[in-house]
This record gives sequence, C-alpha cells and structure tokens, in this order.
Amino acid sequence: MDYNQTFAKEVYEKVDSGDEIKVCMQCGVCGATCPLRGEMKYGPRQIWSLIRAGRRDEVLNNPDIMLCTSCYTCQVRCPRGVPIMEVMHGLAHYALAQGIVPRAETAKFGKAFWEGIYDTGRVDEAVVPIKYCLQDGLVAGLKKSLGMMDIGLALMKAKRMKPKMFIPPNIFIPGVHKIKGVKQLQRMLDKAAAIDAAKEA
Amino acid sequence: MSKKVCGYLCKGCGIGDALDLGGLKKAAGEQGVKEFKEHDVLCSPEGVAMIQADVDAGTNALLIAACSSRAKTDEFSFGNQVLVERVSLREQVVWCSAEAEDDDRQMLGEDYMRMGGVKLTKSEPPAPFQLEGEVAKAVLVVGGGISGLNAAIAAAEAGSQVYLVEKEAELGGFLRTINKLGPQTAPYRELEDNPLPALLEKVSGHANIKTFTGATVDKTEGAPGNFTISLSNGESLRAGAIIQATGWTPYDPEKLAGDLAYGSSPNIVTNVQFEQKAKEGGLGGINSIAFIQCAGSRDANHLPYCSAFCCLVSCKQAMYVKQANPEASVYVIYKDVRTPSQSEEVYREAQRQGVIFIRRDEAYPTITGSDKLSLETMDVLLNEKVSLEELDMVVLATGMKPNNPKVVEAPLVAFGEDQEAAKKLVEEAKAQTEDWSVLNLQYRQGPNLPTLKYAMPDSHFICFPYETRRTGIYTSGTVRRPMRLTQAQDDGVGAAMKAIQAIRAAEAGCAVHPRSGDESFPEFAMQRCTQCKRCTEECPFGAINEDEKANPLPNPTRCRRCGVCMGACPERIISFKNYSVDIVGSQIKAIEVPEEDEEKPRVVVLACENDALPAIDMAARLGKSWSAFVRFIPVRCLGSVNLVWIADALSSGIDGLILMGCRRGDDYQCHFIKGSELANVRMSKISETLQRLVLESDRIKVAEVGITDHDKVAGIINEFMETIDSVGPNPYKGF
Amino acid sequence: MTDETKKAILVVGGGMSGLSAALEAAEAGYQVVLVEKNAYVGGRVAQLHQYFPKLCPPYCGLEINFRRVKSNPRITIHTLAEVTSIEGAPGDFTVKVKVSPRYVNDKCTACGKCADAVSATIPNPFNYGLDQIKAAYLPHDLAMPLRYVIDPSIAGTDEGQKAAAACPYGAVDLGDAGQELSLNVGAVIWAAGWTPYDPSKIEYYNFDKSPNIVTNVQFERLAAVNGPTSGAIQRPGDGAAPKKVAFIQCAGSRDENHLPFCSSICCLASLKQSTYVMEKLPEAEITIYFIDIRAMDRNEDFYTKVKASNKVQFVKSKIAMITPQANGNLILEGENTATGERFKAEHDLVVLATGMQPNTALSQVPFDVTYDPYGFLTSGQAVIGVGTVRRPSEVVTCVQDGTSAALKAIQAVGR
Repeated sequence: MDYNQTFAKEVYEKVDSGDEIKVCMQCGVCGATCPLRGEMKYGPRQIWSLIRAGRRDEVLNNPDIMLCTSCYTCQVRCPRGVPIMEVMHGLAHYALAQGIVPRAETAKFGKAFWEGIYDTGRVDEAVVPIKYCLQDGLVAGLKKSLGMMDIGLALMKAKRMKPKMFIPPNIFIPGVHKIKGVKQLQRMLDKAAAIDAAKEA
Repeated sequence: MSKKVCGYLCKGCGIGDALDLGGLKKAAGEQGVKEFKEHDVLCSPEGVAMIQADVDAGTNALLIAACSSRAKTDEFSFGNQVLVERVSLREQVVWCSAEAEDDDRQMLGEDYMRMGGVKLTKSEPPAPFQLEGEVAKAVLVVGGGISGLNAAIAAAEAGSQVYLVEKEAELGGFLRTINKLGPQTAPYRELEDNPLPALLEKVSGHANIKTFTGATVDKTEGAPGNFTISLSNGESLRAGAIIQATGWTPYDPEKLAGDLAYGSSPNIVTNVQFEQKAKEGGLGGINSIAFIQCAGSRDANHLPYCSAFCCLVSCKQAMYVKQANPEASVYVIYKDVRTPSQSEEVYREAQRQGVIFIRRDEAYPTITGSDKLSLETMDVLLNEKVSLEELDMVVLATGMKPNNPKVVEAPLVAFGEDQEAAKKLVEEAKAQTEDWSVLNLQYRQGPNLPTLKYAMPDSHFICFPYETRRTGIYTSGTVRRPMRLTQAQDDGVGAAMKAIQAIRAAEAGCAVHPRSGDESFPEFAMQRCTQCKRCTEECPFGAINEDEKANPLPNPTRCRRCGVCMGACPERIISFKNYSVDIVGSQIKAIEVPEEDEEKPRVVVLACENDALPAIDMAARLGKSWSAFVRFIPVRCLGSVNLVWIADALSSGIDGLILMGCRRGDDYQCHFIKGSELANVRMSKISETLQRLVLESDRIKVAEVGITDHDKVAGIINEFMETIDSVGPNPYKGF
Repeated sequence: MTDETKKAILVVGGGMSGLSAALEAAEAGYQVVLVEKNAYVGGRVAQLHQYFPKLCPPYCGLEINFRRVKSNPRITIHTLAEVTSIEGAPGDFTVKVKVSPRYVNDKCTACGKCADAVSATIPNPFNYGLDQIKAAYLPHDLAMPLRYVIDPSIAGTDEGQKAAAACPYGAVDLGDAGQELSLNVGAVIWAAGWTPYDPSKIEYYNFDKSPNIVTNVQFERLAAVNGPTSGAIQRPGDGAAPKKVAFIQCAGSRDENHLPFCSSICCLASLKQSTYVMEKLPEAEITIYFIDIRAMDRNEDFYTKVKASNKVQFVKSKIAMITPQANGNLILEGENTATGERFKAEHDLVVLATGMQPNTALSQVPFDVTYDPYGFLTSGQAVIGVGTVRRPSEVVTCVQDGTSAALKAIQAVGR
C-alpha cells in the first residue's frame, strides 16, 4: 500500500483534536487499556497508524471509531498526552458528517440520545432507549426492546433506571420532562452545529 | 637510609585471645624485627599516638600486626618516609580459622609475622622518579573539532599552555559542515546555532593556546612530562601530556550501494551530504523525503554498533525540511528510535512538526527510481509492506567510524616456545593491524594506541573511560566511542583534566591510575640483562623501549607500576624498592614447612590486591573459614608473579600454589589489562618444568576470583587442599 | 604540587560522578571535601550486582577508587552529611553542612559485636527494604568508611545501650548529636545523583498490591551475592524460583504523566538483568516488553549478544495493566504493536524498569540555579552540576562528566 499524507492532513485540520495524534509513539497502551478492547478490531493506536498511512476509507468506515464509551482511561494513560477519546469522537463525528456510517446501530443510538437532549434538555434513561428502538417502526422497535430486556432489568436492579419511567404517558406526552429554558439550549446547540459545519466544509 | 625497626602488636578484635603473642614476636624476631610493643586496641587514638611517638623519635620501619592493610589506612599511615608493613592477623588468621586447631592457627600467625618481618627488612621507602631537566607542562591536543577545541579551551583556562594541532587548513572539524544543531537546551524544541564561531573566538583570543593548522604529527618521542612532538610543518614541540581528539569519519556510503542503492541516483544522499545541502540553503523544492536510519549501523555486515547520533540528526534534518516547507511529507524509517535522556523531547518535537516515523524490520528498504524515488519497506506497526512513492530525496543516516588506526595484538600464547605457531599468530595480528598512525609514537610496541573492538583506543570503558594503554595520552570524543556532540564537548573538558593530572604526576614522580600516587617504580639491574626482550614485549603500557642491542630502556613516567616486567624477567633484574622478586621470594622462604610426617601441608596463595584480597577480607569478616595451612601473599597484579617464586616455593617444600586473580579474556577486569592472562599463560608453560622435577601439575592452580566472589574463596581453597591431599606431600620437603 | 593557597573544592554526593570528580581534582593536587548523605560513599553503583556490558562487579572499580581515596591525603569525606546552605560565588563560597549522628565514632573496628548484641531490626536500606537488618549495622560489605551505623530509632533505647555495652572499643557514642560544619570553598560540584521513580505512582501497575512486582534496582539486589537472597533469584512473595520473568520497559519513563524524558539506562539494565536470569535460572522464560530498545553506541553488541542467545522474547508493547492473581502470579495486558494483537500474558515475576528521577527534582540546590522542565540542572552555572543531576546517564558518562566537572572546578579555584 502507498503511503500518502493527504488524509493525515485532513484529520489534523478537520477532526476535533486531530493534530494531537502527531505525537503518538505507537506504544499501544490505549488499545490494551480500553474496556472495549475485546470489541475493537484496531483500537486507537492502529487507527492513528492507518491515518498516517493515508487509509481514509479504512479509518472512516471503521466501526471502532464509534465504540468509544468516553471512559477516559486511554486518555489518562497515554504517555504522549494524546486526547484519544476526543479524537475518536471527532473521527466518528467527522465520518457521519461525510455521510459515512461505520456503525449503524451506534449512529441510531446516538441520534436518539441527541434528540432526547435536544428536545428535553436532559438525558432520560428510559426516553433514549425507547426513541432508539422505535426508529425502525413500532413492530421492529418492540422486538428490539424485548431483545434488550435483560439490560433494562439490570439497569433497574442497579437503580440506574426507575420503573416509574415506564409509565407510557411519560413518553408520549412531550414536554413533561423538559428543563427550564430548553429553547435557549436549542438555540445554543443550533449555533454550535453551524460552527461545526462551517469547519468541516 | 638507616632503618629503625619496631613491631606493633594489636590485641583487639580477638587477636589477643586467639594467639600467643610471645610466639608471634619471636617469629618476627627471626626476620629482624626484634623490638615490639603491644596495645589492646592499636588503632585507638592512644595506640596510634604510641606509634607516632616512636616515629617522632626516629623509628621509620613499622611492622603493624593487626588488621588487613585495607582497614584503618588513615590511622596507620605515617608519611612517605616511614615504611609500614601490615600483618593481617585479624582477617587472615583469627577471623578465618574458626575450624582450625589452636597450634595450626598459631603457626599461621607466626608465618605471617615472619613474612611481614622479612618484607619490612628487605624494603626501602620509595624515592620518587625525577625526570631529567624541566618537566614539560604543555598539553598537546591533536584534532581541532568540537572535542579538541573544548579540551584546548578547558586546559588553557585552567592555566596550561596548549598546542592545538589540526590536519585541515582550518579548525572546526565536522562542526564546519554543520548547519544548525538540534535542540540541546531546555525546553529542547528549538534548533540552535552552530557553536563554532564562539569556540574559534575563544581559541584565537587565548594567550595560552597556540594553534597549528594544516599540520599532522610526524613523530612523538619521550614520555609523560617529556614528550617531544615533531609536526609535519617542521615544528618541534615539547608537551607533558597528549589528548587525541581525532574525531570520526562517516561510514563509506559506497559500501551501501547494494543494500540501499547508494550511487544509483543523485537524490540518494547521506546525512552528511544532506547537512551540507542544508548549510548551502539547498533544501528548496522538497515535497517528499525519507530518512533511513541505521544505514550501515547496527548491521553485522557494516558497523555492528549503534552510531548513537543518527536518530537525533535525522530528527533535526527532518525539522529543516518541515521548516522550509511545512506541507512536505517527511518520513523517518527506523528500527528503534534512539533519543535518550532529555532528547526524547526532540523526537516529540519532530513529530509535532508533522514528521512521520515508520518502524521497519531488519531488512533494508528497497529504493528504486532515479529522479523521483520509490521506497518499499516493511511497516512493522501496520504489519504490512508499504511503499512511499514520488520521493524527492532519500537520506541515508550513515554512522561513524573512529579516526583511529586499528591495532590487533597477537594472543599471548604467541610468546610461547612454539616458534612456528607464534610467528603465525603474530603475522595474523599484523595483517589486521592498520598501518597508519595519528601520533607516530616512537614506542617499541608500535606507533599507535592499542585498541579494543572497532579500533576504539580505550582499556576500561566502564569505570575508567579515559584510560588508554599509553600513559599520559588520553582520547576524547568520538574517537573513543560513538557519541553525540554535547557528549564530545564535555568529553574534551574531562580529557583536559586527565592531561593536567598526568603532568602533575610526572612532576611529582608518582604513578597515575590505577596506582595513583605510588612513588615506587621499577629499577633495572642492567649488568645482568640478557636482552631477552620479555619485559619490553609484555609491558601492557608500552613503557619500555629498546636500544639497538635490545637492552631495555625504561620510561618510568609511562609506567603504571604493575610489575608485569618484574614477573616477566627470567634474570630477576627488575625490582621496586618495596616489591621485588627477592622480597616475595624471601616471604615464601620465610614460611616454616613442617616435616612430612606432621601431615601439615603448606599452600601459598598469590592474591591480586585489587580483587582477590578484598574478597578474602570480606569472606573473613563474614565469618567464612578455610584451611589454616594456606598463606596469602598479596601481589600488585598476577602479571607480576615471577616463575621463580613457584620454584622457590616448591623447592622449599611448599605443597601447592594458587594464583588468585581477576577475569581475563575479552571482558577482562585486570586493571593492568593483561596481568591475569599473562599469569595463566605462564602457568600453562610451567607444567613441563614441574614434570622435569617429577612434580604434579595439580600443585599449581590459577583461580579466577572476582571481588564479589567472597562466597567462593573458602570453597576454592578447601577444594585445592583436597587435591593436595590426594597428590600427597611435596617430595622436596626437608631438602 | 602544593596548592595550599588555593581554596578547596566541595563535591556534594559520593556516587560515581562525585567520587570521580573528587579523585580527579585531588590527584591533580587540589584539596577536596566530599559530602555524602548516606553512611557510605559509592552511591547507587554499590548496589548493583553487575555492570553492563561487561557483566563485571561494580565493587571492582569502587575498590580502586576507594584505594585512590585512602592513599590521597587531599580528600576529606563527611558521610551522613547534607548541604543546608550555599552563599557566595565561584572562588569564594561559604557552605553550611549538617552532619547527622552515626552514633559510632572512628574507633569502630567493624568487628560486629554491636550488631550481635542488638535484636531490633530495620528494613535494609541497601537492599531497598527487601529484607531486614539489625539496627546496628555495616551498610554493606565494601562500605567506605568501614564503620558501623546505629540506626536513630534505637539510639535512645535499651537496644542502643546494648550496642554501646557490647563495643569493646568505646566506639558507640549514643550522645552523638551530629554537627554543623561551615566550609569556605572555591567551587561547588553538585553530584547528588538520582532516585528510582516511585512505581506506585503508575497505579495501573499495582506495584503495591503484589510482592512479586519488583523494580529494576531491587532486582539487582535479588541477583547480588550480598543481597537478601545471597544471589538466588526468588519471588519476594513466596521465595519460589520464578519460571516466567517479565521486564517492563519505560515504567514511568517517556511518559508525560510521569517522567517525560528517557532514562537512558533501563533498556541495557533489563538486557543485563535478563542475563542474570539466564545464568541463575536457565529454565526460566524471559520476556522484555519495550517501546524502543535503546542500546546506544557499542552497547549494541550487548543487545546483539542477548538476542543471539534466543532466550529472551522481545515484545514491542507498553504494558497497559498488571493484575495480581491469587497464586501470586501477574497477568500483563498490552497490545503487541508489531502484530496488532492485544494479549494477556501470565508471569510469575515482573521487573519494572523504573527510571531515573534527578535528586535535584526532589530536593533543590540551596542556591540560585536553573533547572530544565524535568528538574535537571542546566549547564554553565556557578554550582557545577554533574552526572545524573544533569541528564540520565550510565556509569561511563558519569565518570566522564565527573572528570570534566573537576576541570571546571579547578578553573574556579584557580581564579
């Protein structure tokens, strides 16, 4: 494969904190530290290596860039101080903005998560999954949520999700859970999105 | 001088309880130490004061029977003119004889008293050697690069006259070709200016420095404190010490024609050529470039060692390209990035500027093309082969070779009796030795500094890096090992220190490292010399020249006082005032050898002072014990052991001898380089002599005892005693 | 060669750099005062089993240097001594030195009776706390000066009295209150050395959670004949001979969260220590986890030799996690960056190649001097920094550096 710096330059310039990967010395701590190391094919180190080699398609279509759970472990341990988590999110965001969806389910979940915040100004542990499940229609959604029942029960057991949230009217009556001044929040988010779009253009 | 002798017996540390002091005094009395004083604790202020009072009253030869000569040295030193002989009753008798019978322990102590007594009566206080005429105090620096310039400035600023000789028409060496320095000072991110102009200003402005450019050394005669140097320009200089800072030569890139296509394109250049381009401002138009690290270095087919500077140089040169054209694609293809210490930041800075580092495997990249180049390499971190296309230039980070002629010595067995084999070995060594010279030393052993691996002219590169095998001649900078510029700079300053010190020692008439301050030196009873050349050949430091009739011409200021010449001499004509064939022979003969039927064998251990003796002391202090039938005699170096001592011992009924010394071979520890090796070779030849005397060769053993082998001392001795038991008593007992 | 009119040179620190500086200056005829914080001179090299690349004992070179000191009347040594203040300028410094009590005076003959009499023990500082030693002790076999020390913890106790009563020579002085010295010197050489980086700061290595994770300096003691195990390499946890030994490079070094610089000796130290394992435990498996192997200049030969033995597996990976197991073994996790594989490997002894922190980063020079961002002394100052307070370096560079510091010092006193 040919080495080519075009993509690396694109990343340095257009991806959030993208230029910080320059100082990576390829030690591999990030990939071995990641709680999702079992799920990731490459991990941050190899993705940086691919960026340096100019493998645009491989990187932007790589599901790994959407697997980051923001636990910060790699970022805290990186001996070169690379803000790995930020770059991973930056890459995912950049891929989506280019119309590339490396991991459809994650993208859907992200969309649900984001819409929840946009609509209500807060993250509701019940609203997000239901929005996520219903994106493909009611029947598919019910099927999907039944498939995820174990996770739901586990969340309840760990008191991360309250059963009362399951009362149907809460979901279908928008605005019940909205924060004060959600309109102002939405204006801020719109502005931020416009700035981002200008940067990526 | 008239000797006034007195013995002092310490009763402390168990000596008084374990030994019959009357017997000890009587034994020493047999060897001329008649007068004795005892003290409960001889090293106490009261004990020392007692001795001092005697010294003040004229006593000048002291037999101090107490602890090891390595202990309480301050307490028992009374100035240069007072001879002190220490008898180690504590370490060598009391502490190590827990399992011995009382009378064996007593006999052990009494033997040591006799041995100490005879050594004291036969020794004289050394008188320092004085060079004839005025001692030359100037320092000659050969080589005007970074290391030599710093050496010259440092010595001059410490007050020495300096002669600086440079073969090129201008001073500066490699610095003259350098555009910028890589980051050297905190925060280690900025390229720095070449320090040459500032250095040249210092040199030209210094009244103590006289510079000779366009000159080489035709001839170096003499010795420390009295070197005469003839230059190619006809000048003749006198100097007291010499610093060789002749730097390095880039590895010949022609040799990389096969591996790295050098010569196939004008765009494949070395790091040295690239630096020149940068200096001339010729880096415009580079859009894509690759640096190949370890181009020849770390390669058994080229330079097996790491050249230590190339990683940082490539970081620097990569920065040149990035600074000229931030959009350029710059690759460094490496095996290991070697940016040690604070220079790790330089690596980070190069990366920050966008330089891409690609880790390769052992195989060299393949380079093709002529104008635009293509390069294929294994990218270890992607785990696949990759190629770089459309490269404007490829820079080979070639390494450094020391500018010093390689000297290969024939193995010591070449001095053996098999003349044919010896001749062959000498020829082989000669063939590998390079026939050019920097200093053209007029030394019997050749014009150059003996070298270790890779023509690097040092002798103890861990503990004593400046020591070459030619006294008063120090090497500095990259001639000694590959190093970075800042290291070469500091190295020059240190070499100046060594040179100044060597001159002081020559003035004072004492030895330099490792017997620094020793005022004894070997004296030759020339009327008995048979011109056998062994001393002149075997001296590890080339101290002895020869006249046309092969008479030895000693140069005491070149001498390190190891006594190897004394060990070599078959005629026993070489002696120090306080160490001689006669003195040690007399010590051996002073040992009382019991009759055969008493079944008390006697074994002499000749122990190297630096390694074996401390190991024995430590073993004794740690409560180890061994046969009370052995007697230790410390020697300056195993190389000083004269075969006549073996004969003396065996003919006086001693049942066996062990020579304890340090490790020999490639990783030798001997501070006199070859002492241990020489002893081994000499002993291997003695077996024939033993056979003629109908004696078993098992009676002689050479044992390697490192300083931390104190746990092995007892085992070696006890095992040897078993051997002696099995071969039986020496048949010469009683003759 | 008398320089009585000239002022003395003060050398602070009696390790390889300081000793070299002191000896080189003294042998050129200058008066030298050497101040050492430990109870003995020799510094950290005295605690090494062997040097790379020759695999020879550091005691050998130290013995030569100690003999040079003993035979040189121009060197005065103060042990257990620390500089508290420096005033003045090159040519004329006034330096205050605090000497802590040793409770043993120079009448000591090193007979060891005090240690026999005492039962209290302390963690042995010479063995980095891997074993206990009597509270009346000789610091190590080749200690210079060869004199016992009474630990302050027993000085005022019955144990201290026992030691005093046992000494036949009146050498135990429990009333020793130390002393303050004021020195007028012409030059000050700062050779305060280094401290191994504290590995407990790298929390994901769980150094504190397992006795079977040791540092490289501790490993030297485990291999040394005068160490806690008499040179047998054993797991501190259970005394078993390890079968799978791991060396982890850059344990703190080359890491912006810890020591951002390269400590420059650790690669060679681990290569060297791998030879200890090969020699003493020929059946044991050895793995070195590294980022880059930095065997500079001719030391490359040593790396080549170790590689050629085929007894060491080199894995290019910075270890990301060490997890102690119930059986005392350790699970190491990392990414093999040469294959991309993320692995878990079980070892029964782990050696952390911890780096060199300059002592000037931990305790500054009491004078107006400048440091680099890591706490190393910068060059060209009134107080002459030397050795590992200037840059991480191996023995040979320290000796060179000590020698050049001596020259700078004689320039200063010659003014």
